[in-house]
Amino acid sequence: MLKFLFLLAPVALAADPFAFGEAQSLLRANCQKCHSGKGAVGGFDLTQFPDEQSVIARAKLWHRVANRVREGDMPPPGSPAVSMVDREKFSNWVTTKLHAAACADGITPPPFPLRRLNRNEYTATVRDLLNIPVNAGRNLPADGAGGEGFDNAAETLFLSPIHAEKYLEAAKIALDYAMKDPKSRAAFLTKEPNARATLTALLPRAFRRPVDPAEIDRYIALFDAAQKRGDSYDDSISYAIQAVLLSPHFLFRLENSTLDFALASRLSYFLWGGMPDAELLKLAGENKLSDPAVLSAQAIRLLKDQKSVEFAENFVGQWLSIRELGRDIKPDPKVSPEYYDAEVQSGMLYEPTLFFQEVLMQNEPLTNLLSASYSVVSNKLARFYNIPSKDLRQQPKRFDMPAGSHRGGLLTMAAVLAVSSYPARTSPVLRGKWILESLLGTPPPPPPPNVPELKEHAGATPQTLRARLEQHRANPTCAGCHSRIDPLGFGLENYDSLGRWRDTEAGQPIDASGVLPDGTAYQGPEELKRVLLAKKTQVFQNLTRKLLGYALGRGLTAEDDCAVDQIVAAVERDEFRAHTLITEIVRSIPFRQESKR
Amino acid sequence: MKPLSRRTLLRGTGAALALPWFEAMAAKKGPAAKPPIRMAAMYMPNGVHPDLWTPAGEGRDFLLSSTLQPLQAFKNELIVGTNLWNQAAKGGDGHYVKMSGFLTCTTVTKTLGVDLNCNGISMDQVAAQRSGQQTPFASFELATSPVTTGVDRNVGYTRVYGSHIAWSGHSNPLAREINPRSVFERLLRATRPAGNAVQQDVQLLDLVLDDAKQLRSKLGTADQVRMDEYLSVVRSLEERLQRSASPTQANWKPRVAINPAAKPEAQPKDFAEHVRLMLDMMALAFQTDSTRIATFMFNNEVSNQNFTFVDGVKGAHHSISHHMDNAEQMHQYQLINRWHIEQYAYLLSKLQGMCEGETNVLHNSMILLGAGFRDGNKHDPHNLPVVLAGRAGGRLNTGQHLIYSPDSPLSNLYVSMLDAFGTPVERFADSTGPARGVLA
Repeated sequence: MLKFLFLLAPVALAADPFAFGEAQSLLRANCQKCHSGKGAVGGFDLTQFPDEQSVIARAKLWHRVANRVREGDMPPPGSPAVSMVDREKFSNWVTTKLHAAACADGITPPPFPLRRLNRNEYTATVRDLLNIPVNAGRNLPADGAGGEGFDNAAETLFLSPIHAEKYLEAAKIALDYAMKDPKSRAAFLTKEPNARATLTALLPRAFRRPVDPAEIDRYIALFDAAQKRGDSYDDSISYAIQAVLLSPHFLFRLENSTLDFALASRLSYFLWGGMPDAELLKLAGENKLSDPAVLSAQAIRLLKDQKSVEFAENFVGQWLSIRELGRDIKPDPKVSPEYYDAEVQSGMLYEPTLFFQEVLMQNEPLTNLLSASYSVVSNKLARFYNIPSKDLRQQPKRFDMPAGSHRGGLLTMAAVLAVSSYPARTSPVLRGKWILESLLGTPPPPPPPNVPELKEHAGATPQTLRARLEQHRANPTCAGCHSRIDPLGFGLENYDSLGRWRDTEAGQPIDASGVLPDGTAYQGPEELKRVLLAKKTQVFQNLTRKLLGYALGRGLTAEDDCAVDQIVAAVERDEFRAHTLITEIVRSIPFRQESKR
Repeated sequence: MKPLSRRTLLRGTGAALALPWFEAMAAKKGPAAKPPIRMAAMYMPNGVHPDLWTPAGEGRDFLLSSTLQPLQAFKNELIVGTNLWNQAAKGGDGHYVKMSGFLTCTTVTKTLGVDLNCNGISMDQVAAQRSGQQTPFASFELATSPVTTGVDRNVGYTRVYGSHIAWSGHSNPLAREINPRSVFERLLRATRPAGNAVQQDVQLLDLVLDDAKQLRSKLGTADQVRMDEYLSVVRSLEERLQRSASPTQANWKPRVAINPAAKPEAQPKDFAEHVRLMLDMMALAFQTDSTRIATFMFNNEVSNQNFTFVDGVKGAHHSISHHMDNAEQMHQYQLINRWHIEQYAYLLSKLQGMCEGETNVLHNSMILLGAGFRDGNKHDPHNLPVVLAGRAGGRLNTGQHLIYSPDSPLSNLYVSMLDAFGTPVERFADSTGPARGVLA
């Protein structure tokens, strides 16, 4: 019973409901009082901007203006409020104009930033360099996120004194293990004790570029010093390698060799979360990686390797906020004791990661992310979902979801449903917000401070959450955002705070219907998925932005947004094939940007 | 006070600064040595119930409010400050600006990351940069949760701002230690004689410092900042190691021995235990004189920690803090606030139980507890909830409820604390002088 219209709405940016004159009259009415003439507040003088060209010429400034107006910072509290609709129209007008102008003259993205390896990358790199199954970065502080929301963003990868202490400790732990394990020794030590041969082979891998003999000599000198004080060969070579693991050439993504070597690292840290392998370094040495065809082929090779699970885990965990589950968001043990079964928990956490990896590896249409007939589950997770499963084991695997299981696609996964709930109950508001933010890329602004208690209507207080939220939306201040947020969240009410299916709550049947602001009405999670599929261009534009930001390790600029447009267009032409998304990202101008060092 | 520039900081970590330790150690011979003064700041996320915090009465004649009731036994050791505010945190969003500006009294730059800047140095680090060389660790930054993931696109801030209160430089938030076992091991290691291993480590660090210096000269300005950070943190480690191996090392001994068997769990069973263990580690660090400066964050700002483990609380911290004036929600909110005060009281009691000659560690400390805004439903930084405990060796005039004129700068309290700590400053951020009545 589908009541909604298939609005194949183009990307939000395409709409241009404001003309310059309208923007100008809005500014005149609401901003000019403070921002005009010589004494303009903040030096922002509107009289300097008589036409569109003058706005475009100061793009950075106007992006900031658009953001502050959109987020409700401006006009400041105390001045007459501007309606949310007008604020959005205005900020969309600014960004659309600036976007068109930025793309008109080609894409000139900022250079690849210098940054250190984050904790996960450090761990993976040490692991692959020394072939040890040890989490060497375990004691490093966790990294905060910047840019597009990822912890590999250059801008927030700062260093504190504690890092130096922990790096030294980690290098010792890693080598201590590696020197004792025959499998590791075989991976980085020469058969016969030979320090020069060992370091000559190891350094180019550790520094991810060719290394000249003079550089190797410096580490040989450390080896010699250890020998001189009477250390064994093992202790001496281990000592020299400790220095390798502490060197800025190891700890930082420096890109101080050729573009080909830079690309080898960009690819491997993007798709493996770790160092490039022998094949990538060999191709880089032959200057072949800068060939877009070779680059694409290598991207697909990396993606199909099991190591891409590292990428899937880091990317999905942050894109969908699942990483917060078990950290800031912990289900209430009294309401959801099942979550505290270690196997259920890991099954929940891995499902979106492994599913995403599967869609990418198998080159499936990205629309599967929104709605699929299968998932990747363990036996415990299947049981948790109440799905009979004789051929499932502890190790999660691809599994066709039986009819009536109410599962398929990211939206119906327990981890997603739990991370968008309160510890002890569901919240259509949190889930609606999660969809707007994670899938559609249009996070709602924050609620105004000092929200009063909902005024009761004459008569009885509404009994259900839905009725209370409806009353809430009757308040025009709240309605602006909540008419967008709540209706999306209602569609998932059949899933409880841990993501289990339910037909009733407290004896009342669940009402999982919603009406979106544009009048689209739907009933239940399956129809909600179709609502989102109808907005797939917007969903995958958001995914592309996130992926490009992750691949570049920084926040995107207006110039990068032009690359996003091109990538999305190519992906759309190719019927949303997953490989196309990945290859278009690595072939994009920002990703292949020459390093300036 | 004039913030230290990066250049000064880099220069400041040079060998010249190793000297004060030497001097301090030389002066501390014999059992009669005066106990050191310690300073800690503890941060509660999500504000407090606005009506149940402030004590009744003023000056020495006051009654603890119901939220502060768990501090009854320490009433004479307290200074409760009323009407202090953080003007710099009045704009921006509801949480991030408030937390990262709590100890700096500056306004952070709004950014998803690229312009990360607190525009100041936190008061604990002002003290650490001037006196931190006297102990093995300049300061401890402790917490219970890793940095919150992601950026907050709703308000346009990176959550790094909601996860740090200690800033050693304008764009240098200090990473926190959240594993109590790991803190314990650091404390224990510092008590062990250095031996040859230190010389070997120093030799390693010399080589990588050389690498970094060579690299730096080839980088552009923006990238140089990153390499400077690396140089600075590696140098600080190298100097710490060198100090520990210097002949004066014999002079630094933990004031009490650490029992290696008393190591805490690496993974506490729940949040409450985690908080207690971290507070135990702070107490041990102070007792042994491993550091004299610490910050502790109960949790990151906007934390939605589940508090159903407290009787009568049915939900999560941040959600409950948006109580919308609902009486039942506000009641639960206060129960959560009180739980925090109980943990604070636990630390005070622990410090008080640690004897130092005729006094105790609490007497020789000042432990600040506060939040970046008052009412969680309003996010306003007026009349902040702040309480200070301990006498800083007799320099603080405790046992008082000090009511200031409305909107007196919080930074004034910091000026007084820095004075009591022995690192006086003329000004701190927007301070207008010391806070009246704090110093004895």
